[in-house]
Amino acid sequence: MQYSSFLAMACLTITMTAQAAEPKGFLDDVRRHSLATSTVPANGDQNPYAVVVAPVSVGRIQAGDVLIDNFNDRNNLQGLGSTIVTWRPATKQLSLFAAIPRNLPQCPGGVGLTTAMTMLKSGWVIVGSLPSQDGTTKTKGQGCLIVLDANGNVAGTITGPNINGPWGNMAVIDNGATATLFVSNTGFDVGPPGDQPPVVNKATVLRLELSMAGGKPPVVTRQTVIGSGFGEQADKDVFIIGPTGLALGKGGVLYVSDALSNRIAAIPDAATRGDSAGTGRDVTKDGLLKRPLAMTMAPNGHLLVTNGLNGQVVEIDPETGSQIAARWVDTNKAQSPPGSGDLFGLVMTPSGDGFYYVEDEVNTLVLAH
Amino acid sequence: MLTRPTRCAMATACLASALWTSAACAQDDQQPGFMTGLWTRSNLLGGAGGVRSGLWNLGITIGVQDVNEVWGNVTGGVQRGASYDGVTLLSVGLDTQRAFGWEGGTFNVSAWNIRGRNIATDNLLNLQTPSGFLAADTTRLWEVWYQQSFLDGRIDVKLGQQSLDQEFMTSQGSSMFLNTVMGWPMLPSADLYAGGPAYPLSSLGVRLRTQPGYGITTLLGVFADNPPGGPFNDDGQLRGSTLWGGNFNLRTGALVIGEIQYTMNQPGNGDVVHGATASRLPGTYKLGFWYDSGPFPDQQFDNTGLSLADPASTGIALTQWNNFSIYGVADQMIWRPSEDSPRSVSVFARLMGAPGDRNLINFSVNAGITLKAPFEGRDNDTVGVGFGIAQVSGGAQAFDRSVAFFSGAFNPVRTTETFIEVTYQYTVAPWWQVQPDFQYVFNPGGGILNPNQPTQRIGNEAIFGLRNTITF
Repeated sequence: MQYSSFLAMACLTITMTAQAAEPKGFLDDVRRHSLATSTVPANGDQNPYAVVVAPVSVGRIQAGDVLIDNFNDRNNLQGLGSTIVTWRPATKQLSLFAAIPRNLPQCPGGVGLTTAMTMLKSGWVIVGSLPSQDGTTKTKGQGCLIVLDANGNVAGTITGPNINGPWGNMAVIDNGATATLFVSNTGFDVGPPGDQPPVVNKATVLRLELSMAGGKPPVVTRQTVIGSGFGEQADKDVFIIGPTGLALGKGGVLYVSDALSNRIAAIPDAATRGDSAGTGRDVTKDGLLKRPLAMTMAPNGHLLVTNGLNGQVVEIDPETGSQIAARWVDTNKAQSPPGSGDLFGLVMTPSGDGFYYVEDEVNTLVLAH
Repeated sequence: MLTRPTRCAMATACLASALWTSAACAQDDQQPGFMTGLWTRSNLLGGAGGVRSGLWNLGITIGVQDVNEVWGNVTGGVQRGASYDGVTLLSVGLDTQRAFGWEGGTFNVSAWNIRGRNIATDNLLNLQTPSGFLAADTTRLWEVWYQQSFLDGRIDVKLGQQSLDQEFMTSQGSSMFLNTVMGWPMLPSADLYAGGPAYPLSSLGVRLRTQPGYGITTLLGVFADNPPGGPFNDDGQLRGSTLWGGNFNLRTGALVIGEIQYTMNQPGNGDVVHGATASRLPGTYKLGFWYDSGPFPDQQFDNTGLSLADPASTGIALTQWNNFSIYGVADQMIWRPSEDSPRSVSVFARLMGAPGDRNLINFSVNAGITLKAPFEGRDNDTVGVGFGIAQVSGGAQAFDRSVAFFSGAFNPVRTTETFIEVTYQYTVAPWWQVQPDFQYVFNPGGGILNPNQPTQRIGNEAIFGLRNTITF
């Protein structure tokens, strides 16, 4: 064997060995699941949905605090939860951040806090509401986005014809004085839950451009529907099914977990486009995905997506569309398959070494790291 | 469009006056009525006006479950007829983490109110009685224990007054049936003091559980073996402090019980799945034993070596200085149309054996098949068909033969008692189940004489029942 051939073989062998030893994905390095806290505030609200890590210290919030909202009230009726709690990792203390009045004149139909929530660097917290009066979509209201200051006081609301059931995890480009917000809306023409409620292909992804000039509450300066035609469906068990997870990736691509089509969609040029990309292009479909819900972006550029029909988190390489692995994070056997319908909130820890998620059936926040 | 909210100017006034609220403020305080969500919530009383969540935040959970039954035998038994029985269970739990920040601790105390007639002793005189709730009429303390978990729940220790039927020999499939031995099995019911520390009794003891992973769970416990504290042949549930569950007897023997469980095709937290694969059907398998160091009466001989049926016998049974048993439990799903379908078919079986010289029952088995979600739109209903067989031991059979020999009278030798059960658990709401039930008992008591007609055995029994369960 010639020297050059030997060298090439050696290099190839070393490369292959290195590849073999390298973890396949982010989930391979997640070893532990630790119960952080129960999430029920004093008023008994249940069903934790959105999970947000505070980016800054302002008002009653410290950077790194975890904000969690509740979709159900103390009677476990969906669409009537009105509280946000905060959990501080340093002290492991849970406290009430906001108890929003059940009826805000500007929010048609009441208040029921959804998986749509974010905290901006300017300290404003924005949370979605998809309300009900009886725990089902039969009495569903149009809903709104509610703006809170850093002390949990309602500072305003965002409504309009483009907002109907703001539902999914928010994605944000936060520049301080301005921000761009992405939120899915799953309420358009959704009726009451029955045995076989129809799938309505009217869910949207809405881009809102906000200005917080002069420290004032956010003002919408522009809004654009950048995705449309996604499926949405009333459901007697989980209230509503529709696009739930939004996450921004490289090159301005917005990824959307399209629950009813069991796929992850990509909307290119999400921050700049002036029209709707429809339902986007397929990134990946089926396989390990079982009704994808919450979604976030891991430090390695991979998407982490919770399943609605089991207790797994799926890791996806959005560049290639490959589904790398799924990890069981909720094996609650009260549901079949275990963990079904539990995992609505998911967010990375500030250091990126793990993620927080909620198990809504048992009202807990869990840290996987 | 951003708009400013209208603040409730009357908030202070609202708080100051419970009797008067402005229309605007009333909106804020408006709560859905009692009927809202009635058919979907897990408890009849829901949040109980905030009481439940208020207590929950203090770490306290309160459970109240009420069961009412009617049973009637249309054939067989010593007489025919119908009767009512019912129980109410009150349980109070304390999560020490939520209560005062102590991680991993759970305290539990519970009590029963047991009422009504016992059709098994009134009409049937069979071994495998039709309802697991039939017991002496009383209100009694049941369990009082503290559990502490370690290492993220991989190990936990439970100390205090415990009922073993809650953790040992359990079968998920069997538990939906109503016959007693579909819960706490026949063999320990007959062979341990007073039926062992199981409903409505419990015993002081300690239990260690480990969950090392790989689907394995181990249980090991040491308990007082004789909850009421009386002689073996007199369980004395109505005697003294035993009547209300306050006899913490420690003076008979030690009951050591251990079990290893293996769950397969059931995920554990942290399990990683590479690639979509068809999920396999879940199953749980258990192997266990118990050993009792107490004295047990021989079934055949007295303390001088004579047959207990011999007219010259002292009438005092030979003492056997221990007792033991081994058992196995299997639960296996055998069919489901898809992983996320509510419909599934499962089978179960429990087998156990014990020595025949000191025990009335030396072998028992119960098994069956269940179909969950049997009809479209009935996702939480279950229908099941099961059976149980109790084998009367060789020692007891030898005694029967001796009785016939010495008395010269008709005295059949007891053999086996078998029952079949068909039941349908209809879930009206998550908090309300109605369960019609039919059981047929072959050879009641193993073939004992009918005390009302001493020349005949007790006839086979056709039993109908209806159970109503409400969780408050």
